[in-house]
Amino acid sequence: MVQLSPPPSVPSVLAPILERLESGGALLPDTPENVVEVVGILKSYGVVLDAYWRNLIYIAQHQFLVLFPFFKYFNGEVTPSKLLRYWWHDRINYEFAEYCMKGMMWHGGGGLDAYLDTPEFEERARAAIQAKVRSNPLMAGLNQLFPAFLLEQVRQSCYYSGLGQFWEVMSEMFLVLSDRYDRGEISSIPDVVAHVKQGLVDAAAKPITYAVDIKGQTYEIIPKSVGLTFLPDTAVPYVEAVFLRSFPFFGTVSYNAQANQISPEQADFNYGALFADPLPIGGAGIPPTLLMQDLRHFIPDYLHKVYQDDGRGEDDLRVKLCISFQKSMFCVTTAAVLGLMPHPQDTTDPQEQAENRAHLMVWLERLQASRLLRVQENV
Amino acid sequence: MLSVLIWLPLLGALTIVLLPAAIAEKRSQGIALLFATAIALWTGVILVQFDPALPGLQFIESLAWIEPLGLTYQLGVDGLSIPLIAINSLLVWIVIYSSDRDRTRPKLYYSLILILCAGVAGAFVAQNLLLFFLFYEVELIPLYLMIAIWGGNRRGYAAMKFLIYTAISGILLLAAFFGLSLLSGVGSFDYALLQEQSLPLVTQLVLLTTIVIGFGIKIPIVPFHTWLPDAHVEAPTEVSVLLAGVLLKLGTYGLIRFGLGLFPQAWGYFAPVLAALAVVNVLYGSFVAIAQTDMKKIVAYSSVGHMGYILLAAAAATPLSLAGSIAQMVSHGLISALLFLLVGVVYSKTGTRDISVLRGLLTPERGLPLVGSLMILGVMASAGIPGMVGFIAEFIVYRSSLLIFPVQTLLCMIGTALTAVYFLNLINRSFFGRLPDRLDNLPPILWRERIPAIAIVILIIAFGLEPSWMLRWSEQTSVALGTPFLHSTTALVTGSVTPLPLPPLP
Repeated sequence: MVQLSPPPSVPSVLAPILERLESGGALLPDTPENVVEVVGILKSYGVVLDAYWRNLIYIAQHQFLVLFPFFKYFNGEVTPSKLLRYWWHDRINYEFAEYCMKGMMWHGGGGLDAYLDTPEFEERARAAIQAKVRSNPLMAGLNQLFPAFLLEQVRQSCYYSGLGQFWEVMSEMFLVLSDRYDRGEISSIPDVVAHVKQGLVDAAAKPITYAVDIKGQTYEIIPKSVGLTFLPDTAVPYVEAVFLRSFPFFGTVSYNAQANQISPEQADFNYGALFADPLPIGGAGIPPTLLMQDLRHFIPDYLHKVYQDDGRGEDDLRVKLCISFQKSMFCVTTAAVLGLMPHPQDTTDPQEQAENRAHLMVWLERLQASRLLRVQENV
Repeated sequence: MLSVLIWLPLLGALTIVLLPAAIAEKRSQGIALLFATAIALWTGVILVQFDPALPGLQFIESLAWIEPLGLTYQLGVDGLSIPLIAINSLLVWIVIYSSDRDRTRPKLYYSLILILCAGVAGAFVAQNLLLFFLFYEVELIPLYLMIAIWGGNRRGYAAMKFLIYTAISGILLLAAFFGLSLLSGVGSFDYALLQEQSLPLVTQLVLLTTIVIGFGIKIPIVPFHTWLPDAHVEAPTEVSVLLAGVLLKLGTYGLIRFGLGLFPQAWGYFAPVLAALAVVNVLYGSFVAIAQTDMKKIVAYSSVGHMGYILLAAAAATPLSLAGSIAQMVSHGLISALLFLLVGVVYSKTGTRDISVLRGLLTPERGLPLVGSLMILGVMASAGIPGMVGFIAEFIVYRSSLLIFPVQTLLCMIGTALTAVYFLNLINRSFFGRLPDRLDNLPPILWRERIPAIAIVILIIAFGLEPSWMLRWSEQTSVALGTPFLHSTTALVTGSVTPLPLPPLP
C-alpha cells in the first residue's frame, strides 16, 4: 500500500493527527484512559439522550401548537409528586435538548431545512393548523393576525421531531456500545469510532417523518414520500449546528455581540461542543452546563471512580464530565469525517488517497481552533 | 484568674517540648490545639465575669517579685485590654487549627506559638511597666524564630530586620519607663502609682516622645514601618495572621495605655503630631499598596494604612474616639487576620501571590470560589462597607475625630476610598476572568482551610450588624481614659471645640 508523507503545507501540530487518521486512528489519541472516559461518558449520554428524545417526540406530537405548554417536560404525566420533584430540580434538564433543537433550526442545512421552505410543507402545515385552531377563537384570531406565526411554530415542531428521531438512534447506539465494552468487544478508540461509524451507516437511510393526530385525524407534515433520511437530513445538520457552530454549553461562555465579539458572518460561528471551554468563566454565579448536570446522574461506577481518584474528586465532577464528553464527541466526529470520505479509507490509488487527504485536511483545519489540540494532551 | 492566660500556654509549650520526638511529630498540633481551646474557653469565662460597667481594672492579681527593682507581678484587665485578649486567644486557636499538618519541626513550631500567646496575653494584662516590658520582649523571640525558620526565601533578612527594629523599640520603652520611674521619684514601676506623677511638661514630652517612637516602631508608624512588609512577606501565613491580627495592637495598646494613660497633659501637645503621622500612615500605606503586585504586600501595606485610623482616634483622645480606636483595633485584628489567612490559602494552592499572574480564581469547581467570596467580603469590610465591622470602627473614628482634627480626619477618609482602589484591583485581577491553563487543576480545598475564615467572617458581620457586642466592653474605660484629657487640655488643643459625648450604647 502506498503511503503519502504529510506535505510541508500541513501545520506541524496537525501532522500527527492526520497521520493517525490515515492509519486508521481517530481525532482522539488511543489510550486506555481515553477509552474508559469515552465509553463511560457515552453510556451516561445514551441514558440522557433516551430521556431527551422521548421528550422531544412527546412535545412534537402532544404539545403541537399548545400556546402555553406549561407541562411540556412532564411527558403527559402530571402528578403532585412529579411537580414537587420538578420544583426541587430532581429532573432531567430537557431545556438542553431544546437548545440543541433551536441551534439546528437556526443554522439549518440539509433536506429538512430545505423542505420546510417548500409549498408542500406549507400546505400540509396549514391543514394541521386549521384543524387545530378551528374550535379555538383565540388561536384562530392569532393565526389571522399573524399568519406566519403558527407556521413557524410548526417548523419548530418538525425540528423537535427530527432531533428526537436522530437521538433515538444515537441513544441506542451508545448504550449498545457500552454493552459491547462490558462484554470486552470494545477496547480501543478506533473500536469506538468503528462502532459509531457502523451505527451511522446502518441508520443512514432511515426515513425521517412527522405526523400529528388532531381530533382523531392524522396530519402528515413530513410524509415518507418527501424522502428525508437520517444521515444527510438530521445527522449532518446536527453535527454542523451543535458540534461546530452553536451553543450547547449554555452559560459557559459569555459573548458580547455589541462589542463585535460575535462575527456577523454565520460561517465564522465556532461555538459548538467541540469548541466549548469546559471551564465556566465570569465568576461564581454562572451555573455549570445543563448537560453535565444530567450526565452526572448516570455515569458508570468505573468512570466515577476515575473521577473520584483524580484531582478534586467530586468537587469538579462537571468539568471532568465536560472534558470527557468533548473527547467522546471527537470520536463521533471522527466517525462522521471518515464516513464522509470520498473514497474508501484503505484505497491504494494515489489519486484517491490524495483526495481523501484533502478531505481530512479540510476538517482538521476547521477543527484546529477547537479543543482538538487540547484533547491530544493528557488532561 | 488572669495568670491562667499566661501560664496555661506556657504549660502547653512545656508539655510539647517534653514529648518524646516520635510522639511529638504526630501529636504536637493536637496538644497545642487542646491548650488553645482551653485558653479560648478560659477567655470566655473571663469575658462572662468581666463587668463592663466598671471603668477600672478587674481581676487584679498582685504578687511581690523583685521588689528592689520595682518589679511586681501585677495583673489586671480593663475595657482597653479585654477585647485584645479575646482576639489573641481566638487567633491563636485559629492559627494552630489551620496550620499545615505537615509542618516541619512541629514540636518547636507549636511551642513557639504557645509562648507567643503567653507573651502577648502577659503584655496586655501586665500592670507593672517592667513586667509589661518583659512580656513585650518575650513575644519577640518566638516571632523571630518563626520567621527565621519557617519563612520564605529572604527569611533571614526579614527576621533580622524585625529583630533589630523591635529590639530598638524595646530599648526606647525601657529607657522611657526607667526615666519615668526615676524622675517622678516614685521609685517603682507600678502603673497606678506612676499615673499620679506630676513631672514638668517638658520632661513629660521627652518621655512621651520616647514612648511614641518605641511603640511607633511596633505599630508601625511611617517611617519606622519598613520591617513590617518584609516580615509579612517572608513569614508563614500563621505568623502573618498573628502579626497583623494581634501583635501590631501591642503598639497601639501601649501608646494608649502608657502614652495617654501616663502623660495626659503632654498628650494634648503631642496629639496634633500624632494625627499628622496618622494621615501619613493612611495615605502612604494606601498609595504603596496600590503599587504592589504581591497579595501579601498589599495586605501588609493596607495594615500600615489602617493602623493610621487607630492612631488618629487615639490622638483625638475623646471618650468616643478611644472607643473607636479600640473598635478599630478589633476590626483590623479580625479583617487583617482573615485576609492573611485567605492569601495563605491562595498561595498554598497556586504557588504564587502575584496578582499579575493570578486570574479567574472565582471560577466554580476548578478555582477557589469560596475563598474568593470570603476574600471579597474581607476587602469589603476593610473598605468600610456598612453591615460589617470595618464600617462601624471607621465611622466612630471619623465621627469622633472630625471635630478635634478636621483636616487630618478628612485626609484619612481618602484612605478609605483608596482601600477600595487597591483591594478591588486585587480582586479584579486575581479572581475574575478565565482561570489560566496552568492553574486549571488546583488541589482541593480542605474544610480546615475554610472553617477559620468562615468563623472570622461571621464575627465581622455580627459585629457590623450589632456593634454593641464589640463596643460594650470598652465603653467605661474609654470614658475614664478620655475624661482627664478633655478636662485638662481640650481647650489648649482645640480652642472652642466641644468634645463629643459618648452616646449610650444598647
